Amino acid sequence: MSHIVTIQTEVRCRESVTAACRRLQLPPPTEGTHRLFTNQATGLAVALPAWRYPVVCELPTGTLRYDHYGGHWGDPRQLDRFLQGYAVERATLVARRSGHAVHEEPIADGSIRLVVQMEGAA
Amino acid sequence: MKTIEIIVSPTGEARIETRGYAGAACQEASRLLEAALGVRQSEQLTPAFFQQPLTVQNRLSAGGHTNPS
Repeated sequence: MSHIVTIQTEVRCRESVTAACRRLQLPPPTEGTHRLFTNQATGLAVALPAWRYPVVCELPTGTLRYDHYGGHWGDPRQLDRFLQGYAVERATLVARRSGHAVHEEPIADGSIRLVVQMEGAA
Repeated sequence: MKTIEIIVSPTGEARIETRGYAGAACQEASRLLEAALGVRQSEQLTPAFFQQPLTVQNRLSAGGHTNPS
């Protein structure tokens, strides 16, 4: 290897959000203004399992709006799971659109490994 | 073989490693994926990063000769 970069995922791609929902067998995301307890948020809403309010993705800024009330109104691990699914779908989409083959495999610690074949790339 | 390995943690953080590259070409190769995924938190350069690509080494070893044409 020649360099290692750590990335904090930002949710900015509508197509990848939809693909993540499909991967996790969630309902398709819905665009609009959504209630989060006493507040509202506008964007692409994802309904996580057993969450009282949706997670609203503000795609232009990459910001996520949600209120799980310290875990009482939804398990934060479901949000982590969505972020993981989004990152996998986003990376796969970008790599394939650039003409590269992608191999995906689960790892025992719960991570997902993607290997992008760059042979022949400039 | 040149590959880019991406490990996405259970919390959604991505770790990108380039393999098979010499020199800074690895940064160019992974830039698109990095930008697509989010915000860079850290970068670690490995010894291979500081190696010259083979094609450049070959040219250097032939240095001093001029092409008569």
